[in-house]
Amino acid sequence: MNRSKEALVGVVIVAAILLVTFGTLWLQGVSLRATEVEVTAAFSSVGLIRPGNAVKYRGVRIGRIREIEVDQDGELVLVRARIQDDVRLPSDAVAILSPESLFGDWQMEIAPRDRFPAYRYSDPSEDDHLAGYSIPDISQLTATADRISADIEILTERVGIAFSEETALNVASLIENVEEVTQRLSQLITQQADAFVGVTAEIQETTHEIGEAAVGVRRTLDRVNEALARDEVGEALTDLVAMTSNLRALSEGIEGTSDQFRATAAQADSTFKRVGTILTAMEEGEGTLGRLLRDPAVASELEGTLQELQLLLEDVRLNPRRYLRLSIF
Amino acid sequence: MQLLLKPFVLLGRGGVSFAAGIGRWGVLTADTFRALRHVDVWLRLLIPQMARVGVDSVPIALFIALFTGIVLALQASYTFTGAIPLYFVGVLVGKTMMLELGPVLTGLALSGRVGANIAAEIGTMRVTEQIDALETLAYPPLAYLVVPRALAGIIMFPVVTALAIGMGIVAGWITAIQLLDMSSADFFNGLTLFFLPFDVTYAMIKATSFGFIVTTIGCFFGFHTQGGAEGVGDSTTRAVVASSMAILVLNAFWAIVLL
Repeated sequence: MNRSKEALVGVVIVAAILLVTFGTLWLQGVSLRATEVEVTAAFSSVGLIRPGNAVKYRGVRIGRIREIEVDQDGELVLVRARIQDDVRLPSDAVAILSPESLFGDWQMEIAPRDRFPAYRYSDPSEDDHLAGYSIPDISQLTATADRISADIEILTERVGIAFSEETALNVASLIENVEEVTQRLSQLITQQADAFVGVTAEIQETTHEIGEAAVGVRRTLDRVNEALARDEVGEALTDLVAMTSNLRALSEGIEGTSDQFRATAAQADSTFKRVGTILTAMEEGEGTLGRLLRDPAVASELEGTLQELQLLLEDVRLNPRRYLRLSIF
Repeated sequence: MQLLLKPFVLLGRGGVSFAAGIGRWGVLTADTFRALRHVDVWLRLLIPQMARVGVDSVPIALFIALFTGIVLALQASYTFTGAIPLYFVGVLVGKTMMLELGPVLTGLALSGRVGANIAAEIGTMRVTEQIDALETLAYPPLAYLVVPRALAGIIMFPVVTALAIGMGIVAGWITAIQLLDMSSADFFNGLTLFFLPFDVTYAMIKATSFGFIVTTIGCFFGFHTQGGAEGVGDSTTRAVVASSMAILVLNAFWAIVLL
């Protein structure tokens, strides 16, 4: 009796242990046959994802979330999952956390990055970690909508408070003022438009002239190009070099002439000084000329002398033999 | 005046009696732990008690779980139709069986069966002075009567609860595919959707505590049985009521502490 009871107890206990063990493993999605690899993805936040949630690739369940932890820096959340090792993930694979249904169950979808390029994926610290992005869940969207709704309600209340009868009259007055200002602005705009038309015509004319000038410049440039092509400029430069040489020689000649001029000027200066000295002496009555200038008697004597000399010369002209005797032998 | 005070007197007396009962149960529990040193006394009695407490209780536990699973699946379908996908039937059956109904219903069923059995057996021994005879022979009555039953409850309640949970889930699954036009894939998808290993741990913790409380309360009331057959019947009833209440209180306690 005891042995059979013991066996029965053992069987029940073993059955319960097996049921709990394999049931837990099966409900966790652990496959005892398939081999799996671990994949780690980094997210800035993970929404409502939990261990045990599905990992999908192109909509097919390939594994489960195993562990969620904050990384050492505290800036990212690392989500570790085990997936089937026979699934080939793309080289630019990213992980996206999203609601699997509307009832709070989430999933991790693995996809190529270019499938959802607009998402702001996290920047994982390690190369073998997948970049991740968590889509805001419906509660966050609802909370945001609720905040917006509350703000609109407050705004509406404030508008209701501010929009009294006096405000309405002010607004009506404001509208009239705006209408008047609008009319003035219209007139001003009309005037400015006329002026603008005139300015535009002038600009057109100026533009036309600039265009013609541009044509002239273009022609000149063409000619320059042609001249360059014919080497006339080269010849002109050769002539210019020769002319420069001549100018240099001329300059040297002028420089020599200048030296002679400076010597002549020095001699003239000396001569003028002497003349000045003579004139000074003459003014002071020194010498024959001085006395002639200063003494009237000398002048009258000189005049008499000159008259006698004139008479003498007439006499000589009239009677040359009286004064000149020519004999050859 | 005395008539007006009588309810308060009764209330006070009941409160004091309740507190005294808890104190005496605490003393018995402490003595039971001390009696664990008499291994040669309780070890040979452990397997028979495990058979009585656990194995013999498996049929009633599975029976309760079977119909609980069926009802859960049907009620879930009735509640969800048109609003929530039917695969949530699997979620509800799994979570409810593991977290609540599996341990609690099994505990309540076993409190009626095991607690009453223990209280009646030990109470009879008390009123027939068999326990006094043990003490006279210097045979430790706690090691002989309480320790094997308490250990059997601690070990076998989780075992029976685990089997009951399995039965309830299987019953819910069969109901879902046979009566609710659900596929097995849908049901198991829901079953695994929110499953956490902690759910099983939580169920086992509750079942273990229920096993300890049911067996020790049964022993306590049996040990304090007074009078003849009427006293035994009274102790049995009080043991079942007290252990059922203790199970519900513990259930709330674990929910507050662990969830």
